[in-house]
Amino acid sequence: MKPRTALLLLLPALAINLVAFLAPMANLASYAFHGVSPSGAILPGLSLGTWAALFDDSFYAELILTSVLTSLGVTALTLLLAYPLALFVHRAGPRTKNLLMVACLSPLLISAVVRTYGWLVILGDHGVIYSVMHALGVEHPPKMVFNQTGVIIGLVQILMPYMILSLLAGFGRLDPAFEEAAASLGAPPWTVLRRVVLPLSLPGILLGFLLVFVLTVSSFITPKLLGGGRVFLLATEIYDQAIVTLNWPLAAALSLVTLAIFGVTLGLYGRLARAMEQA
Amino acid sequence: MPHLTLSALEKRYGAAAPAVASLNLKVAKGELLGLLGPSGCGKTTTLRMIGGLIPVTSGQIDVAGRDVTALPTHQRDMGIVFQNYALFPHMTVAENIAFGLEMRRTPRAEIKPRVQQALDLVRLPDLGHRKPRELSGGQQRRIALARALVIRPSILLLDEPLSNLDAKLREDMRTEIRDIQQRLGITTIFVTHDQVEALAMCDRIAVMRAGHLEQLGTPHEIYEQPATRFVADFVGRANQIAATRDADGTIRAGALVFRGPPGPPGQVTALIRPHRLGFAPAEGGNTAAGIITRVTYVGDLLACTVDCGGVSLTVEQPTLPGLPTPAVRDQVRISWRIEDTLVFPAE
Ligand SMILES: Nc1ncnc2c1ncn2[C@@H]1O[C@H](COP(=O)(O)OP(=O)(O)OP(=O)(O)O)[C@@H](O)[C@H]1O
Ligand SMILES: [Mg+2]
Repeated sequence: MKPRTALLLLLPALAINLVAFLAPMANLASYAFHGVSPSGAILPGLSLGTWAALFDDSFYAELILTSVLTSLGVTALTLLLAYPLALFVHRAGPRTKNLLMVACLSPLLISAVVRTYGWLVILGDHGVIYSVMHALGVEHPPKMVFNQTGVIIGLVQILMPYMILSLLAGFGRLDPAFEEAAASLGAPPWTVLRRVVLPLSLPGILLGFLLVFVLTVSSFITPKLLGGGRVFLLATEIYDQAIVTLNWPLAAALSLVTLAIFGVTLGLYGRLARAMEQA
Repeated sequence: MPHLTLSALEKRYGAAAPAVASLNLKVAKGELLGLLGPSGCGKTTTLRMIGGLIPVTSGQIDVAGRDVTALPTHQRDMGIVFQNYALFPHMTVAENIAFGLEMRRTPRAEIKPRVQQALDLVRLPDLGHRKPRELSGGQQRRIALARALVIRPSILLLDEPLSNLDAKLREDMRTEIRDIQQRLGITTIFVTHDQVEALAMCDRIAVMRAGHLEQLGTPHEIYEQPATRFVADFVGRANQIAATRDADGTIRAGALVFRGPPGPPGQVTALIRPHRLGFAPAEGGNTAAGIITRVTYVGDLLACTVDCGGVSLTVEQPTLPGLPTPAVRDQVRISWRIEDTLVFPAE
């Protein structure tokens, strides 16, 4: 194809991106460099006031750190739970495999809002878990909603299908013949897992980590509902600033911070993926 | 005492006919046994049962007098060369070979020289630092062999280790594997569907058919005294003639009449190897007159198809300089020894 024809074919996509993505992004960036009146009106002159506030108030540094750490924790936990499952699905026969895939992905058919409310019912005071623990003689069962625990449990469950999908996508090099070869050379099952299966599934692990981490950082509904306003994460804070406090410049600045976190994550991913290809 | 014994071994996948049934085999220490048979006859299944990669349905496997039937693969001490190499893609060639030694807790200082020895053994001394994907198919095969040999397994299992190699490399590898196996004295099971390979390499051959052992014997026995028509047909080339046998051993196929070994009269199939047929008269043997219908030149051989009273026979002659070349429509007399007529009851 001639370069000119190719360019022509790209034009529609380019136009849509310009209007629907780049323009709002530019707008967002500009908000972050304006002041705001108490009524929420954006002041005309350029100002670095928002950024100064962001760097001065240790609340925001903590918010960013908690967000990143919580997201890393959620991602790691999701990986830990999804990995054996994905491995099992990968090894199943073709028919069982299809069934298992459907089973793994079916939660995606229900909106995250509904699933989050489901968790509220299960984890809440007088919910199933509370009642069972109480019946078993636990005097004061630990609180599991409206705190970090609830947010983590909810996010892990909601994001697991994405992790399973990524892992399965990255398991391409994982041939049972390698495990058989390792066993024939004298490797017991755990060693086979550590020396052969894990290294060969690294591309899937990396992909799943990237995807779920990004989804966790940007997740909003689940932390909002299961956190009960007591868990402060980037996405929920952006929402509060934009909708409740009407401080759009601060919301914009926090969005840019989130974007920067994604940028760093993607950069790291690219590096690791390339290193792995050469390994 | 045999080193490896298979007793009444059986494998069923689901409800279908067994993939391997009532298989009894004894393999001596240091012997190279070939498992030969057409595709789907259960060779790989047998090998995988011996290696512990699939459970047996019934029967027993003993190694050196010890029942290993229930032992997991990693405790069986068998070197396996897989049909698709299965070299670990994330390790270098040297790491691949060292893997089995590490599993055996070989001291670090000893691993390096032994890896190098193994590389030398398969004549690829300089490829230790490469990744498997940077090797040719033949080189990968040899590394897979080195990886299986370096652990000095008590039994070596080879699943079609020479398939999809070019003819020249195949022949080199054939002698190489045989040499190494002899030098190290490793009891070896060699799966192949190539009869030339089996005849050339093995001490004994087990011919399998549809999950059953059809015949067990030395290459000479398998080739010269096939127990069944299937073996005679599968191992080596043969002219097949549907015929009837009289009480006195005379065999008739249309106008073609010849003698064979005595046996019960009735419908039979006679088999004659093409290279045992000749144009020179044989003392006291069978003769038949015919017309050459086709001549095929394959370098070292000249294959002539001869029509003998309605029966088509292929005669293979070595191409020798100075010998007159037969031509199509030549009238010829072909002859062969009576012992070279193999007769089996018609199926
Ligand atoms: N996992 C399986 N499930 C069901 N049937 C199987 C399985 N593996 C093998 N079979 C069947 O068992 C029979 C023997 O298969 P096997 O792989 O042992 O043949 P083979 O002699 O090695 O053939 P080839 O020369 O083609 O490799 C075949 O009929 C095959 O279809
Ligand atoms: Mg096979």
